[in-house]
Amino acid sequence: MIEFQLDETSGVATYLQLVQQVHQALRMGMLEPGDQLPTAQQVVAQLAINPNTVHKAYRELERAGLARARPGLGTFITRSPSGTDPATQARFLAAMTDWLRSARSAGLGPDDIEAIYRTAFRTCFAEGAA
Amino acid sequence: MIRLTWLQFRTQAVTAAAALTAFAVLLAATGPHLASMYAADGLDSCHGSTCTNLADYFAGSLIRSPYNVLWLLSTGVILLAPAVVGLFWGAPLIARELETGTAALAWNQSVTRTRWLAVKLTIGGLTAMALTEALSLIQTWWAVPISQAAADGASIGFAQSRFSQLNFATHGITPLGYAAFAFALGVAAGALIRHTLPAMALTLAIFAALQVAMPLWIRPNLAPPDHTVNPVTSLGNALASQTGPGGDTFTLYANSIPGQPGAWLLASGPVNAAGQATSTTPAACASVGSTGPGTGANQSASPQGSTTGPVAFLGCLASHRIREAITYQPATRYWRFQATETAIYLALALALAGYCFRRLNRRRS
Amino acid sequence: MTAAIEASGLGKAYRRSWALRDCTLAIPGGHVVGLVGPNGAGKTTLLRLATGMLAPTYGTITVLGQRPAAGPAQLAQVGYVAQDTPAYARMRVADHLRLGAWLNPGWDDELAQRRIAQVGLDPKQRGGALSGGQRAQLALTLALAKRPELLLLDEPVAGLDPLARREFLRSLMEAVAEHGTSIVLSSHLVTDLERVCDYLIVLVASRVRIAGEVSELLASHRRLSGPRRDPGTLPAGQDVIEESHTNKQSTLLVRTDEPIHDPAWTVTPVSMEELVLAYMNPASDIPAHRPQLGVAS
Repeated sequence: MIEFQLDETSGVATYLQLVQQVHQALRMGMLEPGDQLPTAQQVVAQLAINPNTVHKAYRELERAGLARARPGLGTFITRSPSGTDPATQARFLAAMTDWLRSARSAGLGPDDIEAIYRTAFRTCFAEGAA
Repeated sequence: MIRLTWLQFRTQAVTAAAALTAFAVLLAATGPHLASMYAADGLDSCHGSTCTNLADYFAGSLIRSPYNVLWLLSTGVILLAPAVVGLFWGAPLIARELETGTAALAWNQSVTRTRWLAVKLTIGGLTAMALTEALSLIQTWWAVPISQAAADGASIGFAQSRFSQLNFATHGITPLGYAAFAFALGVAAGALIRHTLPAMALTLAIFAALQVAMPLWIRPNLAPPDHTVNPVTSLGNALASQTGPGGDTFTLYANSIPGQPGAWLLASGPVNAAGQATSTTPAACASVGSTGPGTGANQSASPQGSTTGPVAFLGCLASHRIREAITYQPATRYWRFQATETAIYLALALALAGYCFRRLNRRRS
Repeated sequence: MTAAIEASGLGKAYRRSWALRDCTLAIPGGHVVGLVGPNGAGKTTLLRLATGMLAPTYGTITVLGQRPAAGPAQLAQVGYVAQDTPAYARMRVADHLRLGAWLNPGWDDELAQRRIAQVGLDPKQRGGALSGGQRAQLALTLALAKRPELLLLDEPVAGLDPLARREFLRSLMEAVAEHGTSIVLSSHLVTDLERVCDYLIVLVASRVRIAGEVSELLASHRRLSGPRRDPGTLPAGQDVIEESHTNKQSTLLVRTDEPIHDPAWTVTPVSMEELVLAYMNPASDIPAHRPQLGVAS
């Protein structure tokens, strides 16, 4: 079972650190679909953080489609994140960065850009199965 | 809450039980011998004013005996017990919890402060009253021979009437009142001052002051006293003394009242034929000489008809129609006085307890 | 969710000074609330008012919908760990637990015994012989085993070494995870609070400076740095909380509900520690009209 760490100096919110560590573990193969994530009580016993933080992290993972809470049983990994190779990811990262730059010089602000992105995202993933 | 009170009260209760046991053992060991001394002096079969001489003899024989020490000690213990209770049981009750901060523990459980205090006051108060009264009853039992002697008319040493200051405060039911009052006073002082040591000091000061004031100024007036005017020659034990140059002034104090055995004398002084207080020695008696206090023993020893000495002095005064005016409380009022005084102390205790509840719930700081 | 503590215009004065003034709060239940402020700010006073150890000078306070210490039922729902975590010096640990059992109908003895064993307390040891950390754990056990809905703690870790502190907070969070207890925890150490608190109240000089959910507070504050500027030129709706200037540069800590559009600024998020320090800074300019964020009335 994954063991979480907390970096108090990083400036990143605690719940995000947990989410990131789950992502990382999935990418490294330390977590696989079907594995159970530690319960809030276990995380709290180890890290002495607010259990709501754990719930928030797990909700975030659920939203991202990576995990699912099964009442009375725990929270489990449902699938691994995108299995594409780093090269493909780098290509799309570059394309996205270019697009963002031109959107910005066209006068779009961060919230406009985010709104566009979310609309496109929803449209894309609503049509057809993921 | 009751169990908690006993848990916190454990040390004090054990100390009290140990002290009471030691007290009881000491007196139980010496009591029978005292009784046998009483019997040996022939007082077992003789009671009443005819035995006054025997009673005086018995009481006098005790003065230089260890029984004197025992009597003083045991009386002292009974008089001090309420003060000890007030200081060591009462003062720390609230003050210590506030001082150490444990009040935050005690008053944040599921029990209101009112209930917390009510249980503690009741258990502490009842135990204090039981302890002090137990001490009193044990000592009363032990001192039966002495009390009997006093009832028979003795007034030597510590064989004094029930109404005398020390006896009244240590026998009967007054110790109950003192204990309740001293305990409540301690708790109230602690609630007021919030620190144990100063609360102890305040408790002691107020308690001592009241214990002095009560017999001197309050008790005599708990019921309107009776007055009587008696012939000086009928006074059994009278203190006559001539003062001033040539003995031209005198004082005369009665120690008992004929026909009123065991009465409590409040005031006594000579009055002239017109009923006014006087202190001028009639010229004719100046030379008769009272030569010191006349006691019952002396009187009976001097031959009738002698022309000098205390008896003659009294006779001379009587011939000049000087009499003794006495203010007193009759012996029959003893229990009434006991009840009244105890009621006063209990009422004070309740008032102080009420103050404690109010103070505890005030929550100003 | 019912408010755990509601205060309206609450104030407490001592002989010569105000300990708390104009305090209006609605602290929600189900949270771990951090009450932060410098020494003497009024944190202890607020907590003692909430437990009923103190009565207000003016204003009102209700805890779980009732007057504090209103009766045995209300007392049973609120647990309190006082500053210095007092214990009876001559009473054994086991006796302290008996005290809890006798005085609390809702006492969970199994929980109490388990905790005592877990933290390594010797039941036979007397309160006076315990270390600070042990006393704190005992006080926490007493407060938790009565199964309160709300637990109030007044600087319980201030005097503890880092290990004892971590242990204490761990125990506290385990209790929240297990029983869903609402917590209000006061401290003048900010770093511990970051781990555990999801609601924050900053109290300075007897007044509430800000109160709100941590996530909302962090979302609504930004650090802006850029060329030297007069803060007055910022659009309305952007309240400057703290500012510092060199001759070429300005750095502002700003509270706003709207995004920052001005490209001249470099916008960075604010950490909780920075936020608290800014509000604790006596020189900072607090918009007086809205100390409390996002509370549904």
